[in-house]
Amino acid sequence: MKTAAIVIGAAAFAATMIAALLDLPPSAIHLPRLVDANLPVSGVTHPVTAVLLNFRGYDTMLEIGVLLLALLIVLAVGTHDGADAAPTADPMLQTFARLAASLMALVAVYLLWAGARQPGGAFQAGAVLAAAAVLLHLAGVLPAWREPGALLRSGLAAGFLVFLFVAMALLSQGTLLQYPHAAAGSLILLIEFALTISLGLILAGLFLFLSGGQGSDS
Amino acid sequence: MIDPLIWLILLPLAWATLAFLLGPGRGARTAIAGLSLQLWLAFDLAMKIGAGGPALHAVGGWGAPLGIDLAADGLSAVMLLLAQSVALPLALYARAYFAPDKTETRYFWPLIGFLLAGLNALFLSADLFNLYVTLELVGLAAVGLVAAGGGAAQVAAALRYLFAALLGSSMYLLGVALIYGAYGTVSLVTLEPLLTADAPRIVWMAGGLMLAGLLLKTALFPFHYWLPPAHASAPAPVSALLSALVVKASFYLILRLWLGPFAPLVGALAWLPMLLGAGAIFWGSWQAIRTPHLKMLVAWSTVAQLGYLFLIFPLLATTGALQAGVMQAVAHGLAKAAMFMAAGVLIKATGQDMVAGLAGVAQRLPLTLFSFGLAGVTLMGLPPSAGFLAKWLLIEAALAQGYWFIALVALAGGLLAAGYVFRVLRQAFLLAPVAYAIAAVPRTLEWTAFALATASVLLGLRGVELMALLAAGSAP
Repeated sequence: MKTAAIVIGAAAFAATMIAALLDLPPSAIHLPRLVDANLPVSGVTHPVTAVLLNFRGYDTMLEIGVLLLALLIVLAVGTHDGADAAPTADPMLQTFARLAASLMALVAVYLLWAGARQPGGAFQAGAVLAAAAVLLHLAGVLPAWREPGALLRSGLAAGFLVFLFVAMALLSQGTLLQYPHAAAGSLILLIEFALTISLGLILAGLFLFLSGGQGSDS
Repeated sequence: MIDPLIWLILLPLAWATLAFLLGPGRGARTAIAGLSLQLWLAFDLAMKIGAGGPALHAVGGWGAPLGIDLAADGLSAVMLLLAQSVALPLALYARAYFAPDKTETRYFWPLIGFLLAGLNALFLSADLFNLYVTLELVGLAAVGLVAAGGGAAQVAAALRYLFAALLGSSMYLLGVALIYGAYGTVSLVTLEPLLTADAPRIVWMAGGLMLAGLLLKTALFPFHYWLPPAHASAPAPVSALLSALVVKASFYLILRLWLGPFAPLVGALAWLPMLLGAGAIFWGSWQAIRTPHLKMLVAWSTVAQLGYLFLIFPLLATTGALQAGVMQAVAHGLAKAAMFMAAGVLIKATGQDMVAGLAGVAQRLPLTLFSFGLAGVTLMGLPPSAGFLAKWLLIEAALAQGYWFIALVALAGGLLAAGYVFRVLRQAFLLAPVAYAIAAVPRTLEWTAFALATASVLLGLRGVELMALLAAGSAP
């Protein structure tokens, strides 16, 4: 009964919205055209990367903050102290996982490098790195993470810190995150490189910090 | 040259990350140094805006609609001042409150830093999507602070809070996406001339979604269900921060959008928030009068006090109404932080949190009881407090437009507030032997609470300056 009411309500809402969307006049401002017009001065040639790292780089900086914050919350709520799950002792699986992980690391580097010209970039590369870490963990090669030490903490925060430092350094010219034209490309690459590592660690951490102690719970 | 507008955002981000790098439980000193600087920056920004009018900063040098604009006017400056002046005493309080090696404090400082960064960025943003990102920063940090190191009940309250916060921000985001579809921009400045009364239907839907999402985040009655457990189960410094500042962020955003781009649409809608606000005042106060737990009482009082913020919406045609709303936000922010801090002292000293268990504590903790009473004076709206000024402005605006019942609701709310404040005071001043052994509490706890409570009362005498600042930037 309750489910039916919710389904009907949601369907009615979706129908009204679609109907309203269908008689939408063309918008007054065409942002993609603006992006294309400014692409040559952005330091990269792919519009998505240009928007994420340059035109709306401030949004991206805060978003990285959100991701770091999410990991902080996982740590703050408390990681398990129980024993790690017994590693899967299948040597075949572990060998393949290792093989796949090294290939995935290679793919991540390529994605990062390709981001300047075609779809790709730090987020995708970081996600692939994180997936490799999760794969290794599930195959029993990589143990679950406990309370992070200084090195891991630096790795987790590096991407955000580099972004923040670049923002602060560029402030000496008066404007937040305004890249000097000549250095725009290399600064973006520097930020993306640091972001890839940190995003990989953060996303992997969301899985690996939580997966400790599962063996002892069951 | 230091631009306070930008450093108010970058500085808390920097010390939050630094505190994280330093390791679990560390970073208190960094945080307090950063917060002191931020308070100075907020004053600096307020002076600049008071003298030179609104400030605008085009991030990346692009300018809207391609880039993101940061903007500060009188309203932003007042909210920024409120946030920094509540956060600094709270940080001192928190440092003394938490035992150094407790689990709940391990990541307290980085979380506070991100929360402050999110709040400051929110008060300064002039871009609908960027505002969404700041809402997420604020919401997530707040959820983390409630959950940190707690038991099952605390995590359950945090989870309920998380679902409410996520639903609220998703609705807001859907609204933003629809607005972008209709106009091709998310910049507040660019949108303002585009959005007119004959807007397509989808814009109305977008506005409705954004309003509903933000009301949920502000915990306006009847969307308040998540607030009392979340605010009551968190540690006292966190409760203070949530009640004083976090719910004000989404209120500020509602006000900003209502007076800004959505102004042509909202005419007839103004009575809805007002009615809900009146409901909040009566229901919240009633629950506060009934609940047996001290922190629950203070949390329900937040539900009630938030109601006042929404009484102003039908009156916004007069400038007095906006002043009343902002004054109430500031008065409640200072007073409620003080009240939660005082409640934290009482709970720490007696080792329990029942109102009935406070019998006789006034003899042992006079300063804390005095702070609680002073904060209560502001909540009740007695002169010369800032709460009195807020209610005075509200009643004046209501009577000027002939809406006497809004004035009646405000007066009745004051009486109800007296009901729950005196419940605590009466119990504490009973000439009974103290039922519990009173543990010694650090003096810092008592004095920081006292400082905020005093500020909430004395601000009533300096209201003119605050109103002048508010007017400095809001003139279109």
